[in-house]
Amino acid sequence: MAGCSCAGSQIKLVYACSGAANTGLLSDQVARKLRDQGFGSMTCLAAVGADLSGFIQSGKSADKNIVIDGCPVGCGKKIFEKNNIPFEHFITTNYGVEKGKTEITQEVISRVTSEISVKI
Amino acid sequence: MKVQILGTGCPKCKMLEANAREALTEIGLDAELVKVDNIDDIMDMGVMVTPALAIDGDVKSAGKLLTKDQIITILKEVK
Repeated sequence: MAGCSCAGSQIKLVYACSGAANTGLLSDQVARKLRDQGFGSMTCLAAVGADLSGFIQSGKSADKNIVIDGCPVGCGKKIFEKNNIPFEHFITTNYGVEKGKTEITQEVISRVTSEISVKI
Repeated sequence: MKVQILGTGCPKCKMLEANAREALTEIGLDAELVKVDNIDDIMDMGVMVTPALAIDGDVKSAGKLLTKDQIITILKEVK
């Protein structure tokens, strides 16, 4: 949901790579959980990558952009760097998850969400 | 040209609209000034932080109360 800068509260936007691998799935699920827990509004990384002006301008004016990549390929990181938008970066494989191997259970989603949430 | 002000009616949105109107008057640009206050329409344009200013659907600024002079600069770049 869009936020108004009049409100005075910090605007935090959450993005996930949502890639094809298990780690992409995890990035997506963690982002949604962070949103549900009130850490920020989730918005579309693909739209930023597609140079859609509304998403890029929103990212530039947000107080904090939280980018969750599934793996070290770092597509989200590269998209934000390309657009010169400041961001905080997290990679799910830094949290005990192996690309192509770890089953993404609710327990894994909750644990990684919890570990990332204390850093944002 | 269509200048769109995106916001749900907050004080900054109203001020941005006023600044945009002044900017258009000052440079004598015959443009349509349109308010977009429906949250779904705002979200459809990818805007997550209001107020925002768009020209012909291209979002030029979000989350900022642009001054008249800043808007004039944007208008001249687009014109």
